[in-house]
Amino acid sequence: MTILQITTEILTDAFFAALAGIGFGAISNPPRRAFVFIALLAAMGHALRFVLMHHFHYDIATASLYAGLLIGFTSVPFGYFCHCPTTVLYMPALLPMIPGKFAYNTLFSIMMFLQNMGEKAHRDMYMDEFFSNGIVTISVVFLLAVGATMPVFLLPRGVYRMTRHMKKSDIQ
Amino acid sequence: MQEFKSSQQLDHPQLPAVAHFLGDYAGHLLGCGVHTSRVVRNSKRIAESFNMDVTVTTLMRTMTVSVKPKNLVKDEDGKESAYTIVLDVPTGPILFAHNANLSALSWDALDQKLSLEVLRERFEKIKALPLINPWVILLLASLANMSFCKLFGGGAIAMGIVFIATAIGFRCRQLMTKWKFNHYMVFILSAFIASMLCASSFTITPADSEIVMVTSVLYLIPGVPLVNGVVDIIEGFTLVGVARLIKALLLILSLAVGLGATLMIFKNSLL
Repeated sequence: MTILQITTEILTDAFFAALAGIGFGAISNPPRRAFVFIALLAAMGHALRFVLMHHFHYDIATASLYAGLLIGFTSVPFGYFCHCPTTVLYMPALLPMIPGKFAYNTLFSIMMFLQNMGEKAHRDMYMDEFFSNGIVTISVVFLLAVGATMPVFLLPRGVYRMTRHMKKSDIQ
Repeated sequence: MQEFKSSQQLDHPQLPAVAHFLGDYAGHLLGCGVHTSRVVRNSKRIAESFNMDVTVTTLMRTMTVSVKPKNLVKDEDGKESAYTIVLDVPTGPILFAHNANLSALSWDALDQKLSLEVLRERFEKIKALPLINPWVILLLASLANMSFCKLFGGGAIAMGIVFIATAIGFRCRQLMTKWKFNHYMVFILSAFIASMLCASSFTITPADSEIVMVTSVLYLIPGVPLVNGVVDIIEGFTLVGVARLIKALLLILSLAVGLGATLMIFKNSLL
């Protein structure tokens, strides 16, 4: 794979993550000035996870923790810049990293487990799938949240004064 | 709204007015999806600007706000005067814009010593600011879910199917919310409609069927209550945090019921 192909792949991933971040942000009605920063955070986080998983062979949970940390810590300077609390920026940015496929497979395996109670081989297979998918889903969601909220615990004074001295013209 | 006063005459004329303002302010913040420690901090900041101290107790549906002057002088019986109100927490949509702008208002109150009239006026002004047009949100959410499909490895046809299904599912959610349907019912039905639309498209084109099913309902994931719940628990507001997580889990369960109903119907074509 050439460097150009790798770069295009990463940029495509970042672009669609940004679009997803903006859309999921819009559902929560953020201030309009926050959209650019939400898009940047979502793009950075997802691209980092993509690179870690595909080029450095990290597992999804560890890669998500690093992506969450990147989003959490970058949301602090961004928050000062656009006078928004960090939560407003990082929550929509985290959403594109929700492990949808694993969550879906967890649900699907519960259903198939209930449908195939009579056959031991099938029952065991779906039970196994339920636990492996469920564990991945829960760990990824938990690690994403922990990564992004880390700045709150490490910089307790720094993250609570972003909206201070906001210009009146910024209120929108 | 219930009011409790201490038996003695309140010696601080502004106490009730400040308490009522803080009740409205903190209640509104909680209602629009702000995590508890921020609500408490912002309220304390405003009370500080009036040289008062406030204690906010929060539950999911009700809250108590108790305001007392700093440098409190006890009367001869050793009683302190404080003004306490108990109020319902209003429920509403998640409004990050109010979170940011009302936090800024609390800093202005402290830095510029705003009077109560000015505070109230600016509070009402922020609440009345126009929200993003629902059709724009609909378009952005559909694009977001479509991007999700791409991130999971879906092709162009799959992305198109997800875009249309999300748009219709999301519109149903907006309408059902407007018609004041039960919150969980809204999630079950929206998830069912979006996933049914996706699943029925398989009869025409079975491209990336699994990815399409996965993404069809992801626009309903309650990300804000989930993260708020974790933050609240870690910061020591365990009761509210657990309550928020339970609510988020129930919403996810509702989503799963809607999706599960579709899976039951189409399970043979998905295996």
